[in-house]
Amino acid sequence: MILLLGGLSLLVAAAVGVISMRNQQRGNAVFATLVVAGCGLGMVPAVQVLYSGTARTVVLVLGSTLPGGDWIFGIDPLSAVFLIALFGVGAVAAVYGVGYMAFDSRTPAWPCHALFALELVALALVVCAQAIMPFMGAWELMAIGSMLLILTEYRHADARRAGLIYIVATHVGTLALFAMFALLARTSSDWSFSALATGTTSPSNARIAVLSLALVGFGVKAGFVPLHFWLPPAHAAAPSHVSALFSGVLIKVGIYGLLRVVTLVGPPPAWWGWLVLGLGLSSAVLGVLWALAQHDIKRLLAYHSVENIGIILMGMGAGALGSAYGHPSLAILGYGAALLHTLNHALFKSILFLGAGAVYRLTGTRNMEELGGLARRMPLTWLAFAVGSAAIIGVPPLNGFVSEWLVFQTLFRAGFSADALRIAVLAVPGLALVGGLALACFVKVGGVVFLGTPRSSRALTASRPGLLLDGPPLVLAAVCLLIGCLPMLVLPPMLIAGGFVAGVPLLPPEAGAMAAAVGAKQISILAAVLALAAAGIWLIGQRLHRTVPVRQSETWSGAYQLPSARMQYTASSFAAPLLEIFGRLSGVRTHRGASVFHSEPVDLILDGVVVPWWAVIERAALRLRPLQQGRLSRYLMYVISTVVALLAYLLVRAGGR
Amino acid sequence: MPAPEFMMRTATLVFVMMLAPLIPGIASRTRSILTARRGAPVWQLYPDLWKLLRRGTVYSRTTTVVFRLVPIALLASVVVAALMLPLDGRAAMLRFSGDVVAFAYVLALGRFVLVLGALDTGSSFEGMGASREVTFAALVEFGFFIALASLSVATHELSLSGMLGSPALALTWSSSAPAVIMIVAGLFVLLLAECSRSPVDDPATHLELTMIHEVIVLDHSGPDLAMILYASALKLSVIGALLARVAMPAAELSYAMRLGVLVAGLFAIGVGIGVVESAMARLRLPKVPLYIAGGSALPAFALILLLQ
Repeated sequence: MILLLGGLSLLVAAAVGVISMRNQQRGNAVFATLVVAGCGLGMVPAVQVLYSGTARTVVLVLGSTLPGGDWIFGIDPLSAVFLIALFGVGAVAAVYGVGYMAFDSRTPAWPCHALFALELVALALVVCAQAIMPFMGAWELMAIGSMLLILTEYRHADARRAGLIYIVATHVGTLALFAMFALLARTSSDWSFSALATGTTSPSNARIAVLSLALVGFGVKAGFVPLHFWLPPAHAAAPSHVSALFSGVLIKVGIYGLLRVVTLVGPPPAWWGWLVLGLGLSSAVLGVLWALAQHDIKRLLAYHSVENIGIILMGMGAGALGSAYGHPSLAILGYGAALLHTLNHALFKSILFLGAGAVYRLTGTRNMEELGGLARRMPLTWLAFAVGSAAIIGVPPLNGFVSEWLVFQTLFRAGFSADALRIAVLAVPGLALVGGLALACFVKVGGVVFLGTPRSSRALTASRPGLLLDGPPLVLAAVCLLIGCLPMLVLPPMLIAGGFVAGVPLLPPEAGAMAAAVGAKQISILAAVLALAAAGIWLIGQRLHRTVPVRQSETWSGAYQLPSARMQYTASSFAAPLLEIFGRLSGVRTHRGASVFHSEPVDLILDGVVVPWWAVIERAALRLRPLQQGRLSRYLMYVISTVVALLAYLLVRAGGR
Repeated sequence: MPAPEFMMRTATLVFVMMLAPLIPGIASRTRSILTARRGAPVWQLYPDLWKLLRRGTVYSRTTTVVFRLVPIALLASVVVAALMLPLDGRAAMLRFSGDVVAFAYVLALGRFVLVLGALDTGSSFEGMGASREVTFAALVEFGFFIALASLSVATHELSLSGMLGSPALALTWSSSAPAVIMIVAGLFVLLLAECSRSPVDDPATHLELTMIHEVIVLDHSGPDLAMILYASALKLSVIGALLARVAMPAAELSYAMRLGVLVAGLFAIGVGIGVVESAMARLRLPKVPLYIAGGSALPAFALILLLQ
């Protein structure tokens, strides 16, 4: 805990440093160094807890004179997983952020840097809090910090709108959390999580309410369909390293909350598992489908976060079903898969956002239709982005494959059981469809942005982004490859954490869960064989090419000799066949005129539900306007009449008794 | 793994790799017989590949290293997928719990690089082909996993070796034959789509606008094209072998018999492809999703039967 506190104080010091330093260069250097040091320091206890094999909890208690009883902080395997993702992404994104913010001379960088460091602290406190008060306090700190981060580029109307939507959405969630904790705390002796967990088993109605409220309150943060609507505008408007933090860590805090509630109320009932599995599946399919329709590269990545949250929820739902139907090994496997995918998604989605940010900075546009051919101009960015793409679509030998393989295994194994749980196997093809659609989507991004020829002068004149923007994603790409080739490095601790959530001790290991881990050793062999085969074929190809003439020419375009960039397939036309299959569900609005055809993606929930209903509420609120006249006498009258009404109520009640 | 078994499995793999170019040949020979034409000999692909290996290579100036990776990644992915398949009828060289997922996703890796290579050329033809390829592949993946799910529910196994090489499949044949028949039929329908065969794609067409697989590799030439064509043929054999092992479980037989069953199955698939190609024309592109949905519905019925 000392190390964690040290790390957090270094982060605070980083914020103070970057605010107080007049010299921007020095301030940036101090900021980056302190954040990296703080994150490194904070990571140590998390790794210790996760790899020590036991559910050791390190606790710090702040005095009992604080409101709400003891403020308890601690690290258990569940928080450790999120701390590792947080500090890993945080350190890398902070370094990148220094380079990224330097491109924009109009926006001062220090507020963004300072907020970034404080946001890391808030996030760490959220996942370490072990009592209601510190949790909700850190939760609000995190919500406000992230809104301010979205507003970094407040000069753009997009950013202001995104910030507004975000703050409204997140407070709806907070409201649900207040209600949830109030229900939870009714039957427990104090407000610490350990008391809530051991508290008298709450009546089933309260339990239903708690689990439902958790889905709303944490669901808004996690951003699964239909609560995702704040996510794409916020991710698009925030600076790219902030988007990486949002997508990699902030929305995962919603997942953390759901898992934390599971540890508090005990194994959830089956309906909750089915609901989570269903939400996960629909979120995954719709998320990737809506991603396909996007032209803005950062919005596209944001919708992919919706998809991946869906995959995480599928693991979580399968885990919950496992414990509900009495298959502890399935529960461990499902929760472990969800946690591993959380970590993996933090890694590869950060690569993608950082890469997209470099593209945005060097070309000045996020519109894919104006890009192309960047692989020649930004080769290192492309290398990292390609690795990240391969990881997110889940092909071996990368980390995305390992966690999707684990989710698949949980769902397949559910099909072996004799009870109703076997229906869960129906989610298998759904997950496969998601994989196929994600492949389509990332072929579109990679192919249209980085390959082919430049579609505009902006893409043509782009230059190399430099080490600060290329280095961080490459570091993450190396980690993705490492986990993909040696999954046994991370799998056992994830299963331990999964066992912690399921409330099943993993020592001695559950047979089924360990069978999966043994399979992971073979994934290393698979990766080696793949590399060997590729190397062998490459060598043969080299030999063959030595004996034949090799020359350069133009791309074949039906014997037409003057190909131009405008003849290339566009992002929209690439995605069109798939979107057409899904019809209105794919959320594309088309405008047809005599000589015009134009299509634009719309968010079915934000533009179709939230905004129209918001207008209804606004109109209803206008009716109440006459009540607010701004005259003191009138307000006094309201107060007096309320007092009179309450007195009357008291009298009536007393009389009734 | 004992040494003799390892040798035998290696020998089987090499045998299938040698045999692979024959299957497309059988398909086109069937077609030429059924349509009363002279046609090319069955082994036509061997001299074709040999000829390409000695031809020069032309690279487009637009392309990057991705384009040159295509033959390597494609061939490597198909070979590694083959390693996870129990070609000898009992067990694969590489097998583990959940290798069914690895099998599909390794093939997806090859497709990912192939399609990126198509966009690397900046050609509109290839962009079009790439778009179609990923569209149909996503749908095929859906159907393929329904089939895998039903096989795993039937056999309680999570590796291809367990599903196809254990007596469990034979037991399923005897206990719920209709379900397995539907899986086999569905897999054949999906195989035609996955391996770019009629009625989804027409390997014999010469118009870029109507092609899918052929147009993606339009700019490859020489040894690269040879490797890609060979990888496609091998992929047909690998998926064909999967289908053959589901259709005719042979785990109990002797090695020679198991190999014979595999060869017979592959030849039958070649003939089947030829029959379909001569019997029906390529579907209009908007109809293809319906075709794949039909192919997925069959294993879906099987899955429901098996879950009962």
